[in-house]
Amino acid sequence: MRVQMIGCSHHNTDVTFREKLAFQPTQAAAALAQMRSLFPRTEAVLLSTCNRMEIYAAAEDEVDCPTAEELINFVAEFHGLVPQDIAAELHNLCGEDAVRHLFATAASLNSMVVGEAQILSQIKQAYDLANAGDSTGPLTHSTFQAAIRVAKRVQNETSLHEKRVSIPSIAVADYASQFFERFDDKVVLIIGAGEMAQETLTYLVDKNVGRIIIINRSRERADQLAKQTGNEAADWDQLENLLAEADLVVSATAATEPVVTGDVFERVVEKRYQRPVFILDLAVPRDFDNAISDFINVYLYSIDDIQKVCDANLAARQLEWPKAENIIAEETELFMKVLFQRITGPWIGRLKQQANDIKKAELRRLQNKLGDFGDDPTVSKEIELTLDRLVNKLLHPPLESLREDISPDTGTGLLDALKKLFQLKD
Amino acid sequence: MLNVIAMADWLTRISLSCFALSYLIALLLEISRLFFRVSVRSVVLFVMMLAGIFAHIIFLWDKFQSDFSGGTPLASWYDWCLVISLALAITYTIVALQRVRHSVGIFFLPVILGLILFAISIEGRQPFSAQERGDLWGMTHGISLLAGTVSMAIAFTTGLMYLVQASRLKRKLPPKAGFRLPSLEWLQVCNRRSLFLATGLIMIGLFSGIIMNVQFQNKLKDIVPWDDMVVISSSVLLLWLIAVSIFEMLYRPARQGKKIAYLTMASFLFLIMVLYFVIFGQHAETPVAIILWLGGRV
Repeated sequence: MRVQMIGCSHHNTDVTFREKLAFQPTQAAAALAQMRSLFPRTEAVLLSTCNRMEIYAAAEDEVDCPTAEELINFVAEFHGLVPQDIAAELHNLCGEDAVRHLFATAASLNSMVVGEAQILSQIKQAYDLANAGDSTGPLTHSTFQAAIRVAKRVQNETSLHEKRVSIPSIAVADYASQFFERFDDKVVLIIGAGEMAQETLTYLVDKNVGRIIIINRSRERADQLAKQTGNEAADWDQLENLLAEADLVVSATAATEPVVTGDVFERVVEKRYQRPVFILDLAVPRDFDNAISDFINVYLYSIDDIQKVCDANLAARQLEWPKAENIIAEETELFMKVLFQRITGPWIGRLKQQANDIKKAELRRLQNKLGDFGDDPTVSKEIELTLDRLVNKLLHPPLESLREDISPDTGTGLLDALKKLFQLKD
Repeated sequence: MLNVIAMADWLTRISLSCFALSYLIALLLEISRLFFRVSVRSVVLFVMMLAGIFAHIIFLWDKFQSDFSGGTPLASWYDWCLVISLALAITYTIVALQRVRHSVGIFFLPVILGLILFAISIEGRQPFSAQERGDLWGMTHGISLLAGTVSMAIAFTTGLMYLVQASRLKRKLPPKAGFRLPSLEWLQVCNRRSLFLATGLIMIGLFSGIIMNVQFQNKLKDIVPWDDMVVISSSVLLLWLIAVSIFEMLYRPARQGKKIAYLTMASFLFLIMVLYFVIFGQHAETPVAIILWLGGRV
């Protein structure tokens, strides 16, 4: 039995490299189909997201499973690249290491934002795609189903997924959700089109916000960001009107002076009829005058307010991380043990069947030789019982050793020896 | 057959302390959220609530059956407090099922337990007798006021949660894993709807009471005087609720934020005051006054 994985992620490669190796869903289906024809007795799952590309291959017999080199060649050929150009950037893991890596990835320990739930659904999608293309089998079924279960266990038994550490993710997931029950009927105003605004926008898009308006001093940049994210842009002189309309305001400009002063906001407040507004001022220096937080039903949060949660989450995560790692280690060990024990099952069955066939043949031969004496039911039954006991006593010690000794540490050596000694065939 | 009899016998032995204890354990579990994290807590909490509600229903049903044979069923302040607490327990369980990670129980369960304790404290009081218990106006009057009180209690609880949540957010307190409250938006919607519903129900209750009193007058039966403290305070409460609702509907700033929550809290306290007059005032000695409130007849 062999599980082989090759891949790359945001940990060790840049986005340009990952883009070259990325598989779109249709490409992934085609790649899996090609793999099936190249390696017919191999099961495979292909995981391709913006942060990682990984191929998992597995086969009951080691000789049937492609090596890391073969997989790298396959990926290079599929994307029209030279294998030597990509080989150094790709990491490869085998057996227990590959399983542990998959479990940790599913539990979001390897994600850019540790604890985010998206990777688990991406793994499920990759597994479903492989299932639909008939590329999976007993090994990939048990490995991926176990990975999904382990991810849920980490989610339930640790608070890792609750401890976000990026400012925009905390602002949206931890704070905005305390104000709003739903986002599909809300108006969000994004002031600025920089990196922080963009990142916040990605979390807001995930929340399915009803209307997002981007406003920036340079209309061109606002238009560009709006086009990229499928939202709308507005002119800078619309700022006051849009502030009066918005339920949530995210401000992240590079302005050196406050963009919205107390005087400006006083005019806005009149138009709002005290409707609550949640303002996330993520700019340094701040875009909103601090006096604005004194207005009724105005909840103004600066980057410092959210940074406190960030720091607390980071500290809490340090405590949660070992718990998650222990779960992964424990589950990997258990999984490998069960997997190794499971693969011995069919061979034990085959060996018993072989011994039984020999017993039956010998019993028939003996009965023929004994003539009338062998037809006596009492004698016949006694002979059969004796042969059964003999077979069982002979097979018991080797089978017991096989059950006890086979593990990820000892490998399948004893099983291979058993196959050779008793000439067991598939 | 023996099993069925044993089961029936066991059910009749369910007492008030059974469900009160279940709710108390649920409250302690809710409070423990503030201090530590246990994965099975929510399951145990729901089991406790379901067991409590089951025992509560059996207890009331048993009482209903025994009262029915001897007079008017569930016709005492004791019974009615238990019915209101049951309605709140069911409401809380439904809300908690939808919001497993929110600490709504910290606000609901003390109200539920408080009502049960209050019921115990007035257990010995005279039940309402009923000459014409099947009368439509009497039933409408009692049921509307009961439902209005439940609705007002829910409005009070959600209003209180709103104020706590708004205060936490205004002070920029970091989210706390053990003390999560529903969003401001949800609390505001629940608060508004409960207040409107309570206003409507209390209005129906009061008008049906007036009609009933007029009918009594025509039949030359005992009536509640129109200048009775209960009648006056109930009318003032209704006017207050109507004013609050109109203010909320017409004055846009009142529709948002803390104002409506404060008004709801005031309304609830007003309701408590009226109930105090009814239960502990000199009218408590006058069955007619109580019955006018609760739908029975002298």
